[in-house]
Amino acid sequence: MATVGGVAGSVPATPRAEPVGKPPPWRRFGKFARRNEEVAWRSVAWVAVLLPLAALVFAVSVLAVKAWPAIRVNGWYFLYGRDWTYGNGYGAVVHTDGVAHQMGARFGAWAIIWGTLASSLIAIAIAVPLSIGAAFALTERMPTWISRPLGFTIEILAGIPSVVIGLWGILTFGPWLAHHVYPVIADHMPDVPVLRYFSNPVGTGEGLMSAGIVLALMIVPIIASTTRDLFAQVPPLPKEGASALGMTDWEVANKVTLPWVRSGIVGATVLGLGRALGETIAIAMIGGASLQIPHTIYLPFTTVAATILSQLDGALTDGTGFAVATLAELALVLAVISVGVNLIARQIVKRTGRVGAPVGGA
Amino acid sequence: MKTSMRAAWLTRGAIIATVATLALGSTLLSSAASASVKLPKSGVETPSGGTVTETGSTLMYPIFNLWASGFNEKFSSTTIQTAGTGSGTGISEAENDTINIGASDAYLSPSVVQSNPSLRNIPLAISAQLVNYNLPGVTAHLKLSGKLLSEIYQGQVTNWNAQQIASANPGVTLPNLPIVTLHRSDSSGDTFLFTSYLSKADASGWGTKIGYNTTVPWPAAPGALGETGNSGMVSGCKATPGCLAYIGISYLTQTLQAGLGYGQLQNGKGQYVLPTSANIAAEAAGFIKKTPANGTISLIYGNINNGYPIVNYEYAIVQAHQSSSSTAKNIRSVLEWAINKNYGSDTSYLSQVDFQALPTKVFAQSVKQILNIK
Amino acid sequence: MTTLAAGPATRRRRASSGFWRFLTYLALVLIMAPAAWMLIGVLARAWSHWQWSVLWTKATPTGGGLRDQILGTLILMFGVLIIAGSIGVFAGIHLAEMARPNKPAGRLSGPLRTASDVLSGFPSIVLGYVGYTALVVGLGWGFSLAAALIILSIMVIPYIAKTTENSLRQVPTGYREGAEALGMSVGYSLRKVVLRSALPGIVTGLLLALAIAAGETAPLIYTAGFSNTLPHSLTHAQFPYLTYVVFSYWNDPSVQKHYLSYDAALILIVIVLLLLVSSRIIVSRTQRHAESARTTRTGKRLWPGRGQAVEPAKDEPLLGITGAPPR
Repeated sequence: MATVGGVAGSVPATPRAEPVGKPPPWRRFGKFARRNEEVAWRSVAWVAVLLPLAALVFAVSVLAVKAWPAIRVNGWYFLYGRDWTYGNGYGAVVHTDGVAHQMGARFGAWAIIWGTLASSLIAIAIAVPLSIGAAFALTERMPTWISRPLGFTIEILAGIPSVVIGLWGILTFGPWLAHHVYPVIADHMPDVPVLRYFSNPVGTGEGLMSAGIVLALMIVPIIASTTRDLFAQVPPLPKEGASALGMTDWEVANKVTLPWVRSGIVGATVLGLGRALGETIAIAMIGGASLQIPHTIYLPFTTVAATILSQLDGALTDGTGFAVATLAELALVLAVISVGVNLIARQIVKRTGRVGAPVGGA
Repeated sequence: MKTSMRAAWLTRGAIIATVATLALGSTLLSSAASASVKLPKSGVETPSGGTVTETGSTLMYPIFNLWASGFNEKFSSTTIQTAGTGSGTGISEAENDTINIGASDAYLSPSVVQSNPSLRNIPLAISAQLVNYNLPGVTAHLKLSGKLLSEIYQGQVTNWNAQQIASANPGVTLPNLPIVTLHRSDSSGDTFLFTSYLSKADASGWGTKIGYNTTVPWPAAPGALGETGNSGMVSGCKATPGCLAYIGISYLTQTLQAGLGYGQLQNGKGQYVLPTSANIAAEAAGFIKKTPANGTISLIYGNINNGYPIVNYEYAIVQAHQSSSSTAKNIRSVLEWAINKNYGSDTSYLSQVDFQALPTKVFAQSVKQILNIK
Repeated sequence: MTTLAAGPATRRRRASSGFWRFLTYLALVLIMAPAAWMLIGVLARAWSHWQWSVLWTKATPTGGGLRDQILGTLILMFGVLIIAGSIGVFAGIHLAEMARPNKPAGRLSGPLRTASDVLSGFPSIVLGYVGYTALVVGLGWGFSLAAALIILSIMVIPYIAKTTENSLRQVPTGYREGAEALGMSVGYSLRKVVLRSALPGIVTGLLLALAIAAGETAPLIYTAGFSNTLPHSLTHAQFPYLTYVVFSYWNDPSVQKHYLSYDAALILIVIVLLLLVSSRIIVSRTQRHAESARTTRTGKRLWPGRGQAVEPAKDEPLLGITGAPPR
């Protein structure tokens, strides 16, 4: 019978058809280059994205290895004890659990850890209301020609090096607070148990309160600009609807805007908290460097970060290496606190998610 | 037979001669090698050029800055990079060999010596420490004993008009002002000196409870402040009426400008002594014989007539084994220049910081240590 | 007909709303005032003893200028730009382009992004200490530029990765799909199409990272040490930079150094201002062009930054070619 397609084998090849056999060299190279370029991009990108994780793991391992002798000897006392002594540097070397250290060495870091927590708490307590308030002021009914420069100034503040803020704090702001603000507060404090913490002595401006205020000043830009961006993303329809129903500005803000951005504010606060926990230089300059919990809120204190900075060289004079291992343990504690806070907050943000359903056409 | 015997003698002679030559030659060579570092006539070797890094004691910082300019004038090929970070840093950076010369008011502790056998502390000059206070209106030099200072720093005496201070200073009107004790928050040789004094003068109290070191656990005295560096002590004391601070003598001019007074301290003989150069020299003189070859000795609270109790050798902490011979030469040159009475230890330099040059015996010991830096 | 006069409850509510608005303005003032005070204070202190020669004179033990310190900070910034910039941009590319949810890479991207965020919150002093232990002492480099660059880059990579990822995500999918449809390879489309449109955002991230690198002190103290002279080698030589001058010279015995401390603070503020202002200019300039402007259904063009809500919410579809939400 007749074959489909006509005479077998007599279909003429079109000029564009695939050549039979291996493609010519230039075609082969082109395909190789294209395929390998993708591989190259992908592998470089893979290496790059694994680096932060590798760096984290590396940092924590270095700390853990270095701190291990101290962890064994210091035990749990490290977390609740208040003695921080290097021992007798010019005396004998003793061994506990096979670890060599100076006689009388005892490291309890509670006062230091307390300092970190207290200063960060004060900073957050001051910064969050101020930031939310300022973000509202900038986004609600303020003409753009004011709100944009002001917003920009706040963002610039985020970039000011903390050493510069510390310099201003110790030269100008601290003394000003000690002479003009603290005495006013302290003299008017009733002699009641909790409030006694805010009474005299007032110190010289280098202390917990000053450090907390300066820290707040440093984290306000982060929280304020993030909150302002969040407010800008709130869809106008729910707000306008609420306004139309007769709610005042405050009620709209309270009942519509804030719930909408709540998880975002938590996220921003945690960013700020992270910065406050790790802040070193400003606290080293304005904190006053006392290894004890202060009697009043104006007196000198120290934080984990500032202690690591200022004590590392002193620790190195301990020839047994135990003090350095203890500082590594302190650094590990700070790393754990900071990473822990970060992870917990991410969980909170993920859980609460978006509050409030999109209304209308979003 | 004769030839073989002669041959045997010759061979024996040859062997003996060869061995003797080898022995002599090797002793000559080795002595040449160990004596390869010799001081030139001027007393200062020429450096190889480059930068010599120094850090550490803030008490030595002013003089090292002066020495840096002077040294660079004489040897323009070499600069000294200085920093004032505290004696503890000087020691630790020298330990880690991240710095060429560590400056320290404190000698090395036994544990550091044990773990760093090639680390040396070389005396460079004699210095002293003041105890300053900010009491407007009080012009007298208050008499302060070690025991009293120990009580104040432990928080047992809290006001300037307390009975303990008043009884030691009859005739001085003390104001009713709370005492604010200042201490060094960084790892400080001045802390080492001050706490050594307190430990020796109050052996049963401070000596047992707290001891001496470049960092100590300061007891909770009311309002106690921590400052960084001697400059921090000066500025902190200036800003705090009623303060009590221990400051190195190289900052005497600054303390006087800041309006701070300094006290007469009680020495081992019970006398109250002012920090004059004569009294400092007297204290140092009493320890010359006892100073060991490695320079490790405390000159504090000696039993010396009219000796000021807080006096010390200022040390350069250096690794005896350097990684390169040119670095070693640079370091030797700097140190030789510094202790030489014609150059760095000339009165024109030392008088600016109220230091004193090393006595001859200690000078010779320091030179020996310096020449061993290779 | 009842009057529309406000009743007592309404008056109370309006009063409390007014009070709240006053509080928000007060908050704004409480933030701006210390910030302005600080900037003016630093400027005044620096300007009162300012000499232009500070910029090109070398530092001496008792004073001098800041020439090598300025150069040192600039070199640090440049080095961080190269090292952290390239790594961070590639990391961002991975997270945005190559981690598709359906592929195995996508499942890892969550933890990797978390690791990056955690690293950005890691205390800088701890990284400095790790650098000291591992690089300065451990590898025997001593205080050096190499150690400082590595640690600074590690600190800054997460920021660059995050901004790169965000700006890549904002590139409409239509561009990528169009490029693929035209037969471009992944690399080619990345280079010529996607990265090019995301460039302003990436550059902003880079400038921010530079500002962070310029202002860091604590990690540099333990990796770079400090010096008055610019060294000639990457290792075994301490490195000069500006922030240490601010940290320690204000309390120096020599009064000349106090002035240098204020001058260094001023120079740092100027550097940071330049970086942030340039990034703002870049963002606003490029946003004026087609990419971010939207066209409403009625054909009106909406520009960003003029009070008109342009940035669509996350799930809102862009009026693009495909009509599907950008991934």
